[in-house]
Amino acid sequence: MFVKNLRRLTIFTASLGSGKTELAVNFARRLKERGLPVSVVDLDVVNPYFRTRLVREELEREGLTVICPRGEWAGADLPALPPAICGVLEDGRRYGVFDVGGDDVGATALGRFKPNLPDGSYHLWFVINACRPFTRDSDGIINHLRSIEKASRLTVTGLVSNTNLGRQTDLDTVLGGHRVVEEAARRLSLPVVLATARRALAGELQERLGADIPVLPLDLYMQPPWSGE
Amino acid sequence: MAKILMKGNEAIGEGAVRAGCRYFFGYPITPQSELPHYLAKRMPQVGGVYLQAESEVATINMVYGAAGAGARVMTSSSGPGISLMQEGISYVVGAELPCVIVNMMRGGPGLGNIAPAQSDYFQATRGGGHGDYRMIVLAPASVQEIIDLMQDAFDLADRYRNPVMLAGDGVLGQMMEPVELGEEKEVRIPPRPWAATGRTGGEKHLINSLYIVPEDLEKHNIRLAAKFAAMEKEEQRWEDYLAADAELVLVAFGTAARVCKAVVDRCRREGKAVGLIRPLTLWPFPVKAFQPLLATAAHFLTVEMSMGQMVEDVRLATRECRPVYFYGRCGGMLPVAGDVYAAVQKILAGGEAK
Repeated sequence: MFVKNLRRLTIFTASLGSGKTELAVNFARRLKERGLPVSVVDLDVVNPYFRTRLVREELEREGLTVICPRGEWAGADLPALPPAICGVLEDGRRYGVFDVGGDDVGATALGRFKPNLPDGSYHLWFVINACRPFTRDSDGIINHLRSIEKASRLTVTGLVSNTNLGRQTDLDTVLGGHRVVEEAARRLSLPVVLATARRALAGELQERLGADIPVLPLDLYMQPPWSGE
Repeated sequence: MAKILMKGNEAIGEGAVRAGCRYFFGYPITPQSELPHYLAKRMPQVGGVYLQAESEVATINMVYGAAGAGARVMTSSSGPGISLMQEGISYVVGAELPCVIVNMMRGGPGLGNIAPAQSDYFQATRGGGHGDYRMIVLAPASVQEIIDLMQDAFDLADRYRNPVMLAGDGVLGQMMEPVELGEEKEVRIPPRPWAATGRTGGEKHLINSLYIVPEDLEKHNIRLAAKFAAMEKEEQRWEDYLAADAELVLVAFGTAARVCKAVVDRCRREGKAVGLIRPLTLWPFPVKAFQPLLATAAHFLTVEMSMGQMVEDVRLATRECRPVYFYGRCGGMLPVAGDVYAAVQKILAGGEAK
């Protein structure tokens, strides 16, 4: 497997706008490529723009199951959590990838599932983009991580190094951010479980980081409206 | 200085803080909630005040109070919340108070939806509140431009003692782009000798929009009108993107302008003379941008995320000397580059009726 000790449930949480959705979708695709039955759960009740449900059809064509409010409810500004989420939590053969809304307010929705998430059954990974305003240093990262643990009543088990400047990302940006993430990891005694980069940069990043940290190449799903023809 | 990745809504907040704004009164509404969210965290870091009021009616009146006391102050909302503020905005103009009001537009009318739109153009540029008034309306099209414009927004409000509106849409608020913040500078807020700052023994200052004697109110209106005329003369802003030699000139602001720029680039690659005028001020509308184009352009195409509002100003600016066509999507739908390109093709081929 491309990450160490994969668990059945992988939950991505982060400070708002750190790239969770792109990451969750790409991570789920990777599991699917390994032949695992995967459901992507859109738990984002915070931000109605740029969330998993917007690319649901595309993901379903690829064979992923997407759990999110259906039909006209998908665009509602309502914190609705579909009952199928419990199915993912309870089905012991299914792999669940959770895209949780940003910040402590987003993580509150996750806390509702605490009774279904005994220690050791899940990974809760905190995604960090060190180019975002509130997670530019390890103090900021630790503050945000603690507030999310408090709101979700769950414990973070690893950090994901996801530093980027959107389309302007270069290798130096990613490596600079990775150093910040490593410092936070040391202070928190947590592992850096995964690093990411756009597909074009991923090979070079893997070389620079060495074999200890797996690099997940990202194909970006969320595009601005002026990018298409 | 390293770049950071920001959402448009966050950039408004950071830009305001850097412009010396220390008071924000707001009420959450999608798609601008990241702005109060950001300032709730940021204002305490700089000794400012963030306050979530009980409604938008309360926020605009808090803005009135803070501005009247001489503070640099801002509020923000989206369509329905801005509608609720209209009475207060009219009072702010009447009492000649500087402040910044942000509208990240969403689909209307009514409750509409939370998706992006530009259909509050009439409300912003014609005055949604009562009485004879105008305000400068700034329309950025990128996250960096938001950062760059916030200082101007507050300075213009001070210069004219009038509210300035920053008009964006849901996409601009939500999208993330790298920005260069630059050094944080000490901001010197212009003196406000008119502010009501308590009983300090000096002259009496009254912040009020009540003129009970008609002769006085008429004089007040004439004085305000002179300010609005000065704004019209001095503050028109726009971006000219390859419009000078264009046969067809697109006219669009904000997110729609980003789409149009992509269309212009495609047309130019194909050797078609297409350009773009992007108003940066929706009011005063950049009429000056159109004067030289009347000699060079054969047609204009206005692209909006509405059923067609700015198109009326384009017709006025071109004095109907040239055909002005319209393409729009609304209700939270976005114009896509391919469809705008098709509309351009049709006009260039002599197809579309006005």
